[in-house]
Amino acid sequence: MEEFKPTPMKKKYFTPVVIGLAVLVLNGMIFLLARFVFGIGAVTNLDNQHPWGIWIGLDVAAGVALAAGGFTTAALGHIMHKDQYHAIIRPALLTAALGYTFVAVSVMIDLGRPYFIWHPLIMWNGSSVLFEVGICVIIYLAVLYIEFLPIVCERFIGRVNLPGMLKRFNNPLEKLLRLLDKGLEKTMFIFIIAGVVLSCLHQSSLGTLMVIAGPKMHPLWQTPILPLLFLLSAISVGFPMVIFESVITSRSFGLKPETHILSNLGSMVAPLLGIYLAFKIGDMMIRGTFVYLTTISSASVMFTIELLFGVIIPLRMFMSRQIAKSPTGLLIASFLVIFGVFLNRLNNFLVAYTPPYEFYSYFPSIGEISVTVGFIALEVLLFRIAVMIFPIVSVPDMSPQRTKYSVRGGIR
Amino acid sequence: MKMKILITLFFCSLFVNAQTQKQVHPNLNGITCKTCHSCDIPTKENPCILPCPREKMVSIDQSPEDGPAVITIDKFKKQSDIYAPVVFSHRLHAEMSGMAGGCKMCHHYNPPGQVIGCSDCHELTRKRVDISKPDLKGAYHRLCMTCHRSWSGKTDCTECHQQNGAANKTQAQSLEDKSAKRVHPKIITPSTIKFDTPKASGKMVTFYHSQHIDLFGLECQSCHSNESCMKCHTKTQTASLKIKTTDQKHLLCASCHNTKTNCSSCHSDTVKEGFNHKELTGFDITKFHSKISCNICHHEKGKFTGLSKECINCHGKWTQANFQHKITGVVLDETHSALECSDCHQEKNYANPVCSNCHEDKSYPKNIPGKLVKKN
Amino acid sequence: MANYSRRDFLKTAAIAGTAVTGLSSKTKAAPKNILSEDRMGVLVDTTVCIGCRKCEWACKTAHNLETPSIDTYDNRSVFNKMRRPNDKALTVVNEYHNNDQDKFPINVKVQCMHCDHPACVSACIVGAFSKQENGSVIWDTDKCIGCRYCMVACPFQVPAFEFSKALKPDIKKCDFCFERTKEGKLPACTEICPVEAITYGRREDLVKAAHQKIKNYPNRYINRVYGEYEVGGTSWIYLANKEFEKLDFPKLGKDPAPGVSEAIQHGIFAYFVPPVALYALLGGVMWINKNKKKTENETEI
Repeated sequence: MEEFKPTPMKKKYFTPVVIGLAVLVLNGMIFLLARFVFGIGAVTNLDNQHPWGIWIGLDVAAGVALAAGGFTTAALGHIMHKDQYHAIIRPALLTAALGYTFVAVSVMIDLGRPYFIWHPLIMWNGSSVLFEVGICVIIYLAVLYIEFLPIVCERFIGRVNLPGMLKRFNNPLEKLLRLLDKGLEKTMFIFIIAGVVLSCLHQSSLGTLMVIAGPKMHPLWQTPILPLLFLLSAISVGFPMVIFESVITSRSFGLKPETHILSNLGSMVAPLLGIYLAFKIGDMMIRGTFVYLTTISSASVMFTIELLFGVIIPLRMFMSRQIAKSPTGLLIASFLVIFGVFLNRLNNFLVAYTPPYEFYSYFPSIGEISVTVGFIALEVLLFRIAVMIFPIVSVPDMSPQRTKYSVRGGIR
Repeated sequence: MKMKILITLFFCSLFVNAQTQKQVHPNLNGITCKTCHSCDIPTKENPCILPCPREKMVSIDQSPEDGPAVITIDKFKKQSDIYAPVVFSHRLHAEMSGMAGGCKMCHHYNPPGQVIGCSDCHELTRKRVDISKPDLKGAYHRLCMTCHRSWSGKTDCTECHQQNGAANKTQAQSLEDKSAKRVHPKIITPSTIKFDTPKASGKMVTFYHSQHIDLFGLECQSCHSNESCMKCHTKTQTASLKIKTTDQKHLLCASCHNTKTNCSSCHSDTVKEGFNHKELTGFDITKFHSKISCNICHHEKGKFTGLSKECINCHGKWTQANFQHKITGVVLDETHSALECSDCHQEKNYANPVCSNCHEDKSYPKNIPGKLVKKN
Repeated sequence: MANYSRRDFLKTAAIAGTAVTGLSSKTKAAPKNILSEDRMGVLVDTTVCIGCRKCEWACKTAHNLETPSIDTYDNRSVFNKMRRPNDKALTVVNEYHNNDQDKFPINVKVQCMHCDHPACVSACIVGAFSKQENGSVIWDTDKCIGCRYCMVACPFQVPAFEFSKALKPDIKKCDFCFERTKEGKLPACTEICPVEAITYGRREDLVKAAHQKIKNYPNRYINRVYGEYEVGGTSWIYLANKEFEKLDFPKLGKDPAPGVSEAIQHGIFAYFVPPVALYALLGGVMWINKNKKKTENETEI
């Protein structure tokens, strides 16, 4: 059996695509600066009728959902103990850590008073869904970084070499890393399980978030089982996200995609998507909301697109054996699932939100779009940097013996 | 013993209560205590007044002259930091209300007795326990605005108020004097109104307005109730008469006339003559019966036929003893006052007396059997 | 490496468990949410309101907002379009046609309804909102982080946000003149109203008075008191002579606005049992799988 070993990528960082992304990042930063100097109203199209825009609907809600790969792979690899998937855990972990970091940053820029972001830590409101989401995300973010620490240790233990003045810290840092590594080895399982539990909690609570909007939300989406739907959709988007990102990374770095792992992953998507679809349709039937689909409105059109292109078509694709074997097929099917969940979050937070008194309908401003696009671009760039510094992407191992850190975190 | 004292006390209280009741409400036109009070023995401290409006309410009418000419509403002096007190031309408003609801337009739910002011019921402070009726400020404004809004369509405060500081004391005094002099000009009543109706035959309805007042004794309010100033005045462009439906037009007349059948009694193709009892029935009412209302003789409601023209029918038998002849304008002299009625009046309607029974050379009205006085 | 013992596992799991339970006991600390029997309210009689907008003026003056001169409030052309309370005006009056009779137009004052079961109190991430004993729903601006979830939650779309401010933007809404009522004064709008279209009093009394009015003048009002039952009852209640939905009142059910959301929330976090149970379950699965793997490996060897 061919052994895979995570290794830092060695390639030129700057490519035309990377430069293009960098421009987008710069553009976003300019608008971001404007937001902090002139206020939220100056940069966004938000008003008293539309308190939340794409910074929450996309950056946060969709961002959290699309970072679900982290906990689904952790559950699969560590809790279910399927060792063959270990190759994909690290990329998924990095995606999740980066994703959640940007969720936190997006929340911060959307807050009217970003400097008070620590308030929820000491000012508690048990009945607030947002409080629960916030606390869960903060803890989960910490858990993700802790889960990532062994990778840092692996990379730098024995290789700490700070330049110049900082040279004297080399020894203590080395010791710290070793201590961390040793401590985490024994306790990692706590964080892994905690990560899965926290994910389940806040992924579902993200759905509960909009329940309180009640009649302000279009009945096609407003349902008491929103948390369940959010959890199910987050679980089903986890693997497609990993597949998508794995295929893209492989292509970007000219590696052979780990097709057998990916198609095995793909085979698990269909049942998950199926359960999600069943609940979604069942909920619609029980509440009788399908009547809204008979009229053509932005809500009914968006709902149909979300369900058809985001769930039904990819479900059919993942059920086909041919598609499961081809990286391109997997890429397209995964993209559709991602698109579906992305659209679902967009719909839930923005399209379905119909304020009782609406003078203007909301469409994101150039500033909002620029910042969102800038963040996504920055995320991609950081991912690229990370895989080049840290041993994340698995490549066929030339050396015969298994490294100590290859399956970091599992109980052995 | 205890019982006895209690009983005595109870009756005493009842007695005292009955006394004060007479003082407070001297004229209880058939309404009971329970119309207004919820408890058995209302006291000044706890009047237990039922929430307005009570089932059957008595309101009284005074003539505009009986009320004050001008009232300066300065009860809110402490609160009014924005506006100066309003000088209210009470008499003018009382006169204007003549065409509408009368005193009760403002003095609603007035208990029997004298007309009472607003502050007797409406509390001066807005922060209060009993919120079933508005406070004084609210009550004033609500009454004023119901008319003033329809009059100008505006809610500007400066229509009535002067901003504080803008008016000094002398100005307020002159305003008061001016208001006192303001009276509503006498409303000129038309004598005849000719209505063109869309009816095919009997297009014209001739309405003898003066007859309805003079002959039938109707008050203005009998027909003109709840009419705002705009009925007569057109101050704003938008003010116009309401277009009434046929039913609404007939409704006013229908309180006396039968408008369902017998259209021709009002509608005709030409100008109709006014009401003339003599011509219609042959019985002249202009001489002695002009001041009594129709229903004195025509008891049956809505039926005005079937009365005998003979005086005896209503008045019974007249004799020289029970008939004051003075009422006819002729005071009989001594000789004639001893005669029986029928000695001179042979006709049943006591018209044209005959003298020929006694005198050969005398005749009425050339010779008078007494002396002429002014008829009253 | 592989000698990570079962005892260690249980020990660490126990520590984690206690930590989580410790958290749960603290989460019960909820914001002040009192439903006093003597809570105050306001009865708005839209048939009495004349649309003079003095309440708007008084409100701005009382809250130190930028206030135009009182004369400008006589201008009725503002009624041409529907307005909503915002960060610069905490209450506004709108005008509607009275199509039943060619009578006066209907004026409706809009402000925070001060719900008995406020969605904002339930939603606020830092518990800045609170329902006070006197019925008012207020917020602690020092706690606010500007997340605007209260605006999402409010069924009446009342809280407004100072979008134009870069530094310390605040939520703005009617606070039932909490500072004034604390001193025994009336709310500014109810004090100035010339016709007392807005009556301040105990909510219980106001509901009774409202029904008495409907009984006394059945032709003047439709038989409904808006706010008596809407979203579990509001402190401000309304009377009108026209269907409330035609006067731009939202059509709402009788259930408190945060009801479903709180039920889900408390279901998921019932004494932290479900999360801890999930944690234990996953731990169990992990342990079993690990042991299975070990035996597999051993048999292979």
